[in-house]
Amino acid sequence: MAKGPTREMWKRILAIMIAVCILAFGTIGVRLFGLMVVDAEEYQAKALSQQLKDITIEPKRGAIYDRNMNYLATSSTAWTIYISPNDIETEEERELVVNGLSEILGIDAETIREKTLKNNQYEIIKRQVEKPETDEVRAYISEHGLGSTIGISETTKRYYPNDNLASSVLGFVGTENQGLYGLESQYDSVLQGVSGRIIASKNAKGEDMPFTYQKIIEAEEGNSLVLTIDSTIQYYVENALSKAVIDNNVQERGCAIAMNVNTGEILAMATKPDFNPNEPFTIYDADDAAYIETLTGEEKTAAITEAQYKQWRNKAITEVYYPGSVFKIVTGSAAIEEGVVNANSTFDCSGSIQIADTIFRCHKRSGHGHQNLMEVFQNSCNPAFILMGQGLGAETFFKYFKAYGLTEKTGIDLPGEEMSIYYTAEQMGPVELASESFGQTINVTPIQLITAIAASVNGGYLVQPHVVKQIIDSDGNVVENIEPEVKRQVISEETSLYMRELLENVVTNGSGKNAYVAGYRVGGKTGTSQKQNLKNEDGSITKYISSFCGIAPADDPEIAIIVLLDEANVDNYYGSAIAAPVVGQILEEVLPYLEIEAVYTEEELAKMDIKVPDVQGESVEEAKSAISAAGLNATVIGDGDTVQRQVPSGQQSISDGGTVVLYTGDPLEKSMTTVPNLLNMTPAQVNSAAAAAKINVSFSGTGVSGSQLLSYQQSVAEGTQVEAGTTITVYFRHNDSSD
Amino acid sequence: MALDGKRNIKRPQRQPSERRFRLFETGKMDITFFTLVVVLLTIGLIMLFSASYVYAYSYYGNSYHFISRQAIFAVAGVGIMYFLSRVDYHIYRKAAWPLYVLSVILLIVVLILDPAVGDFHRWIVIGPINFQPSEIAKFAIVILFAHLISKNYDQMKRFTFGILFLGILLLIVCGLIVVETHLSATLLIGMMGVVLMIVGGIKLKYVGIAAIAGIGLGILAIVTGIVDYGSDRITYWLHPEEDPMGLGFQTLQSLYAIGSGGFWGRGLGNSIQKFLWVPEPQNDFIFAIVCEEVGFIGALVIIILFVLLVWRGFVIAMRAPDKFGTLIAVGLTFQVGLQAALNILVVTNTIPNTGISLPFFSYGGTALLMLLAEMGVVLSISRKCNLEKR
Repeated sequence: MAKGPTREMWKRILAIMIAVCILAFGTIGVRLFGLMVVDAEEYQAKALSQQLKDITIEPKRGAIYDRNMNYLATSSTAWTIYISPNDIETEEERELVVNGLSEILGIDAETIREKTLKNNQYEIIKRQVEKPETDEVRAYISEHGLGSTIGISETTKRYYPNDNLASSVLGFVGTENQGLYGLESQYDSVLQGVSGRIIASKNAKGEDMPFTYQKIIEAEEGNSLVLTIDSTIQYYVENALSKAVIDNNVQERGCAIAMNVNTGEILAMATKPDFNPNEPFTIYDADDAAYIETLTGEEKTAAITEAQYKQWRNKAITEVYYPGSVFKIVTGSAAIEEGVVNANSTFDCSGSIQIADTIFRCHKRSGHGHQNLMEVFQNSCNPAFILMGQGLGAETFFKYFKAYGLTEKTGIDLPGEEMSIYYTAEQMGPVELASESFGQTINVTPIQLITAIAASVNGGYLVQPHVVKQIIDSDGNVVENIEPEVKRQVISEETSLYMRELLENVVTNGSGKNAYVAGYRVGGKTGTSQKQNLKNEDGSITKYISSFCGIAPADDPEIAIIVLLDEANVDNYYGSAIAAPVVGQILEEVLPYLEIEAVYTEEELAKMDIKVPDVQGESVEEAKSAISAAGLNATVIGDGDTVQRQVPSGQQSISDGGTVVLYTGDPLEKSMTTVPNLLNMTPAQVNSAAAAAKINVSFSGTGVSGSQLLSYQQSVAEGTQVEAGTTITVYFRHNDSSD
Repeated sequence: MALDGKRNIKRPQRQPSERRFRLFETGKMDITFFTLVVVLLTIGLIMLFSASYVYAYSYYGNSYHFISRQAIFAVAGVGIMYFLSRVDYHIYRKAAWPLYVLSVILLIVVLILDPAVGDFHRWIVIGPINFQPSEIAKFAIVILFAHLISKNYDQMKRFTFGILFLGILLLIVCGLIVVETHLSATLLIGMMGVVLMIVGGIKLKYVGIAAIAGIGLGILAIVTGIVDYGSDRITYWLHPEEDPMGLGFQTLQSLYAIGSGGFWGRGLGNSIQKFLWVPEPQNDFIFAIVCEEVGFIGALVIIILFVLLVWRGFVIAMRAPDKFGTLIAVGLTFQVGLQAALNILVVTNTIPNTGISLPFFSYGGTALLMLLAEMGVVLSISRKCNLEKR
């Protein structure tokens, strides 16, 4: 056995074997148990955090519809262009990326170059890129083989199909589709939906793994809003307001609200000038834009921000103003409700009234003399309303002030609503009470005031104004209906009924004549308030807010419209002269649109425009007799036997004595003419000027006779070349200067 | 006649080694050892494919880049193993000194050649074949020590032979490998040599002295910064999270992979860390991917297979008909067991990263051929035991 292993060798082999197994493999076993069982979760978490690529899928933002389901805001597909700086391998590649993207996307080359030098996998070059540009980028990528460097991901872009329409209500979204203003901001959580995720594993280079899994959690589309706003009414309101703001050289913007007096539904709400929510950051005010250009650095940034906020702000809810005489509705209705005054009450106005040691003047310096209550409203007589206020006393006055919701925000579902400024009953001395009685020294928002006025005419009920009617999901199912809400009854049905009569009289016989619409019963109240916070150096006040709040139909009100022009820079700045006609213009279009039946008086029928008979295709003789039977004249051009074409065409309305141009025979050259000046004329003057220029006119605002009617607007500007016989709408107003 | 005849038959059976030299033995090989080798090799190949295909696809455009090569070497290696198991291991006595000299020459040559891989002078490239001379040196030391110790077993208690002579032979090789800056190979060969000396019968007091001296020298080397290239390794061994994207990256990623496996593992093929997170997952860190895929339970099975291999190898050593066979079996088995253990200790960051592959698993054709050849030698010893028993 000397050759084989000895017993000592056996022992030593055994010892080494045991040592190796226990020391080495035993340690390994313990170590692995620690790593894989005890601390496994910690390592798994760390591993997962580096392995998973978590991509957010942006949800499609819900749409905003008007009450008739027309789109006001919608989201369409857009693309985000990004680069992966770490994957740029050569300088040539960098140049390709920088130059290509800079050219296609119109971004400064240096900005892109900086991004290419960053040390990461994802640098966004431009968000919300439209399809044509995206296609160009895509082509560029494949042309130069930049697939690993430039990336395109799908996202959505907010789109407002009507541009400026209702912009201050809708608001707008930021580059990441987050609501920044207006409804977009107020209902952001409703609209935005729930982000989806793609959880994909990635390899150490950040690429998707070639052999592996990904999990997609689909994004949930946001809910959509159905508004109480009617785009058509909104358009009428904006159109009229916009012209008024321009014509009257309004310095601090104008605003208007149209509201359903019974439900509090806002049918239209506008501020002019406003902005295009598709490009909300552009400065739209030419003066502001020019001013900003003169600045640099921080000043410029600050000026841009200020100008942007100014154009975005929804004046109808975010700015308080002195309501002036429109507020007399509140004082008057409270006095009637409390029995301080009644239909038989009389008032004497000497042109001023002294309360304590303060003399308040009436806007008519000579005084209104002896008046009954109806005349007091009609004349908007300050001393009479001061007396009503004194009769109520501070406490009762404030009780109604409060009941009409003027001490609190209306709670309309729009962001940034401003709070009114007022004296409480305790703070109110006789002088403060007197000035508040006719709408001075208090500050309210237009939305507060129109809500109060709605209550005064709808039977006395203060309703909750609101803009959103319904929330629906992406399949059109109703998620939530916003029901009209009555907060409280402020005055009795009887008082409210009487208020309607008083307000209708203001339009029919008083300062509100310019809001009258032939065939309809319109009520309202004018207002012209001094901006007492903006006194000149000598203490005089030359800045005014001109306003009018109208209701229609006056016997059973459905709609209230308030129009406010802040700092109209014209001679006649009275609400009766410049704000009331705007309401008149709006109502003239809105009331027929609301299918409210017109009932004309004999006088109105006589003055009404005549509907042009459709004579196209008829023989010249037949046409001539049809036209003259309608009370119109005919001019024949050409020597054919039948009428090929007529101007104005059938169904259009033109004023009495207008001329219809008939084209006969072969296609003939159009007979052209130049539009004359038709402004600052009486209806008769307009008619003769129109006849001389071979155009037809249609009259607006001539419903109420009385003081002198003068034209203040024409639908086609002077000097425009038009075809002979074209109809131009001319707007008239009573040019009196009553409050 | 009958008696003589009996004697004539019995004698060679009783003392087969004294019979004339027969190159091809006919005894049965140890089927347990053979099975363990084949099972480990099979698992190793499966895991190599699973661990390497992403890396192979990403860098070579072919998922099968590594596995196809490794498989060819594995098949060839099994053939060589079987062939060598039938070769009488005594033939290696004649090769002991020439192999040692050749190893030393190759270790010097590799230092002169330009580094073929990285900054390390470890590889010799001849045409399509590249190999590490240290692999040959390992085998050479085993054969030479087995040869010398078995021939001079009675001299082993003497200091001059047992410690000094053998020690110098070992130091020459280890010294050359240290200069290669191949720490793990040095450690492996050094420990293997020492184990052979211990089994060969040196006085244990020298082992104690050497151990103390070794630890002292090691500490001195680290403190004085002589082992400079290792110091960063030490820092990031203790705190890999301090440079997660740099020197600590491989270690951290390895730990993430192992931890991700948990008790049951992600399932075969389901590693995520092999998606380029663990660098070169087909090489030294393959066990991290193994852990991630087959979990603690699978890792434990593989470790137990290695333990069984060591146990079986040592059993073969103890049953070997002569000391030469015993020592070869001990040396080769110990080497495989220690290498596996060191690799897993590195992968689990229990010891600093020394750059050591996992036998049967890591990619490397010549290393695998060498390993299987060595297993063939162990098997040839087992045939002798079985022949003896018969």
